Amino acid sequence: MIIIGNDLSKLYGSRKVLDHVSITCKAGEICGLLGANGAGKTTLFKILFGLVTPDTGTVNIKTKSNKKIGGIIEGPALYDYLNAYDNIKIFSSIQGVNTSKSTIETCLHNVGLPLDRKDPVRNFSLGMKQRLGIAIALLNNPACLVLDEPFSGLDPLGVAALRKLIIDLAEKHQLAIILSSHIIEELSKICNTLYVIKEGKIVNKGPAQKLIAENTNSYSICAENIESSISLKSYKVHFKGQCAHVSIKAEKVPELIQQLYQEQIYITSCTPELSMEKLFEINL
Amino acid sequence: MIQLIRAEIYKLFNQSKTYYALASLFMIEIVILFSAYFQGKNILDILLENLKKTFYFEGNLLNGNLLVYLILNTLWFHLPLILMIIVSGTLTNEYKDRTIQTTMLQPVVKWKFIFSKYLVAIGFTVLVVFLLAITSFVLSYGLFGTGDLIVYIQTLNFFNANDAFDRLRYAFLVGALSMVFFSVASLTIAVIFKEATKTWIVSAFFLILSNLLLKVNFGNEWLNTFFFAKLNDTWQIFFYYKIDWTIIYTNSILLSAYIILFMGIGILLFHKKDIG
Repeated sequence: MIIIGNDLSKLYGSRKVLDHVSITCKAGEICGLLGANGAGKTTLFKILFGLVTPDTGTVNIKTKSNKKIGGIIEGPALYDYLNAYDNIKIFSSIQGVNTSKSTIETCLHNVGLPLDRKDPVRNFSLGMKQRLGIAIALLNNPACLVLDEPFSGLDPLGVAALRKLIIDLAEKHQLAIILSSHIIEELSKICNTLYVIKEGKIVNKGPAQKLIAENTNSYSICAENIESSISLKSYKVHFKGQCAHVSIKAEKVPELIQQLYQEQIYITSCTPELSMEKLFEINL
Repeated sequence: MIQLIRAEIYKLFNQSKTYYALASLFMIEIVILFSAYFQGKNILDILLENLKKTFYFEGNLLNGNLLVYLILNTLWFHLPLILMIIVSGTLTNEYKDRTIQTTMLQPVVKWKFIFSKYLVAIGFTVLVVFLLAITSFVLSYGLFGTGDLIVYIQTLNFFNANDAFDRLRYAFLVGALSMVFFSVASLTIAVIFKEATKTWIVSAFFLILSNLLLKVNFGNEWLNTFFFAKLNDTWQIFFYYKIDWTIIYTNSILLSAYIILFMGIGILLFHKKDIG
């Protein structure tokens, strides 16, 4: 394991924001932290970063790197009166990292930022700021990257590009990555492991796809003539336009798809409808 | 540490508000010079009306030295207020923009980060006072020429032109220490309050309170000598006929100790506090 947060608790006044939370992440793994707003995700991350001292528990990051952990918390925070180049330069210089032109340009290139933008970052889109934030987080080669709500506010193209960047960092650079979101779809697409946090407690955890399958009771199946299906009559189904909302167990889905195919109903999408109520039930 | 100081200097001089503040100081200087140019003669005539019946004044009393002295009096309120706004802003802006979080996510030692801010604040304050002194001497002498200085402190004190120049120079030098004190205090206030508006209000209150307490007799020798508010008018001692160097040295050493104390408290609080 690269990062081990063990038995972390935090009280703000009389309110318990974190209640004996433990989280781990190994090299090359992407861990997702799913929780509603105010569930304690940001506090947990602040503790992992060392910005906030926990009331109980410890954080152990196993790396020989000068910079143990990098990341973004509550969105990218940059010197908006400086351009991207100068932002990297200033954050490099304060930690004694090489600030040569070529090194800084490589940093910008690695996160897909243009080298010809010389204007202040206040003019940048949120997606570009996220990328610059990640470039700064990656300075000095940390072993662990923690990203708080990285997809928040991004357009679909920005989300796709950032998703690819995160997967690349985990697979090619073997970084341990922990990211939070309140959008399950985003986490399910890239995470190996999923932690579900509710009111400061981890209520569910495990391999992401297994957790999703276990907590999915229905699927949204779309096709042109889906309403004419005979096979669907043996299930509890609700039609909406060209989509059928079918209550079905995960293991029965391949069989249903086969039956629909035999009926010459060619499906265009099959999306699991996760039961959030079930996922957020305490299972630990 | 040197890298942190460099970064602080770089940030300070890359923000437009620093130049707005410097421009506002320069504007105050210009306003003082213009108002003196158009109204100064009348004011002096009113001030010296009675004395002129008894004494004969030779030369022009509305001269560069008097103007430099008037500009020097911005050390009471205008200059420390502007300095406190800029200096405290170097930290409150980092809290507002959350760049302090990004900085603390790098392998940076907390006390070194805030200490570098204090050092840059001190350097910047000295630089501003130096610039104010240079520009006030150049503009005042350029526009009004030199001459004897007349100052009213308890009584009217007259100094010949050369003596006045020396006294004004020393006053700027010692006044810089007071300005450093207020800058350091404002940064410590910023450490405590984090938020800009609260910091500005408390800093302005601190400045006004210091000026008020300066005039208060506490009825206690120790407080009247050693309390920080009593040390911020040391630069005025240069405009008494006889300069008491012992008081100037003592007050300067004491004020330096207060500067170190305020800075120490700020560093300690910053190091102990959570970020975010």
